[in-house]
Amino acid sequence: MKKLFRNKRAITPVLSSLLLTVITVAAMSLAATAAYVISDNLHQTMGERFIVEDVWFRTGSINVYLHNVGKVDLTVSSVYINFTLQSTSPFALQVGKTGWLNVTYTWTSGKVYHINIVTTRGTKVADYYVAP
Amino acid sequence: MRTIMLLHKLRKNKRGFSTVIAVVLSLVILVVVVANVVLWDYTMNQYDWEKLHEGLSLTVTARSTWFIVQSEYRINNGSITGGSYLDTQADDEIYETFRETAAPRVLDINGTFFIDLAKYPLTYIQGIEILIKFQATDTSEAWFLKAYNWTANTYSNSGFNSTTGYTPTTTTGWDYYQVSITNRWTSYVKSDGKMFIKFHDAGADPTRTTVRIDFLAVRATIALFSFKNNGQVTSHVTSVWVITSTIHSRYDVDFFINSGTAASFFSPNINLPKGSYLVKTITERGNVAVYSVG
Repeated sequence: MKKLFRNKRAITPVLSSLLLTVITVAAMSLAATAAYVISDNLHQTMGERFIVEDVWFRTGSINVYLHNVGKVDLTVSSVYINFTLQSTSPFALQVGKTGWLNVTYTWTSGKVYHINIVTTRGTKVADYYVAP
Repeated sequence: MRTIMLLHKLRKNKRGFSTVIAVVLSLVILVVVVANVVLWDYTMNQYDWEKLHEGLSLTVTARSTWFIVQSEYRINNGSITGGSYLDTQADDEIYETFRETAAPRVLDINGTFFIDLAKYPLTYIQGIEILIKFQATDTSEAWFLKAYNWTANTYSNSGFNSTTGYTPTTTTGWDYYQVSITNRWTSYVKSDGKMFIKFHDAGADPTRTTVRIDFLAVRATIALFSFKNNGQVTSHVTSVWVITSTIHSRYDVDFFINSGTAASFFSPNINLPKGSYLVKTITERGNVAVYSVG
C-alpha cells in the first residue's frame, strides 16, 4: 500500500483496468440482454401455431373459432376479409385455449370469402370459405 | 510451463483481462442464443412433423342397428292367420298375418325385443325408435305402438313423439309408422335391454281388419364416433363440432386413439340432429376429421 501511494502513476493503471472491466461487463450485459430479447422473440414467433376450427356465417357477422395449438400465447392483431382489413379489437388466446373471433361483416350467400387472420408476431392463417 | 508464461504475459498486459472477459462472455451468449434457437427450432419441427403424420378418419353413427323380435308375438286380442314372427324380422315383404277378433273386432299383440347393451351401453343411449312396416285391409282405423313402461308397470306411449296413432293410407301397398321416445325412454328399457312392444288398433269398429306385418323392430339413438388412426402418431381428439345450417355446436371431448388402431367413442351429451349435418373432430395438434351426414 505504501509503495502504491509512493508510486503516483500506479493509480492510473488500476483505475484504467477497473474502468475497462466495468465497461466490458456493462457492454456484455447489454449484448446479453439484446441477445435474450432477440432469441426470445424468435423463440415465440417459432412456437406460434393456431388453427381455424370453424367459420360460422351469421347475420351481419362472420364468426371464426380459433384454437391456439402452439407453444406460446398469441394475440390476433388483424383480420382481412377478401384482402381488406376489418376492424377488430385485439383478441388474445392462451396456449391450448379456444374462442370465437367475431368480425362484423355483411356477407352474401354462396359467395367465396378469403379470410386471413394475422397475429401480432406475424403468423397468419388464411383460407377460402363459402358462405352458406 | 507454457500456461504459466501465458498467464505472466496476461498479467503484464493490463488490457488482457478485459479482452478475456469480453471473449468468454461473447462465446457464452453466442452458445446460449444458438442453442436456444436451434433446440426450439428442433422442437417445433418435430411438432409440425407429428401434425403432418397424424391421419384420422371419422365415421358417425346416430342410430344402432335394428333389434328384431325374439319370439312369437303374444296375442292378447285377435289371431295369427299366416306366417310366423320370423317373417317380421326383415324388411323383405315376407310377412306374418294377423286378424282382428270377431265383434268387437280388435287386435292387440305384443313382442319381446332386446337392445344389445354390450354394443350400445345404456348410459350412452339417447332415445329409442320403433318402426313397423305393415299393411291393413282397413284405412279408416288408427293403429298404435306402445311400449311397456317398467316404472309404471303398464304399456304406455307417454313420452312418444306420436301418441295419436297412425291411420294406414293404402290397402295394397305398405305403410311405415315410426315413433321415437326421447323423453323418459329409460322407463321403457329394462336394465338388460329388454323391451315389450305392443301394436294394437283403436278399438271396436265395424270392419274386421286383417293386418300383415312385414317388419317390426326397435333401435337406439346414440352418438357414436368411430375413428381410425392411419397416422404414425397417437391422436388426441379434443373437440367435436356438430354443424347444421342453423347451429354450430362445439363439445369438449378427451379421447386418445393409438396409431394404426380403430376406436369408438360414445357421448351421451352430444345430440346429433335429424336431417343433414356435418361432424368435425379436432385433434390436439390441430388436425380435423370430417364426416358428413345426409
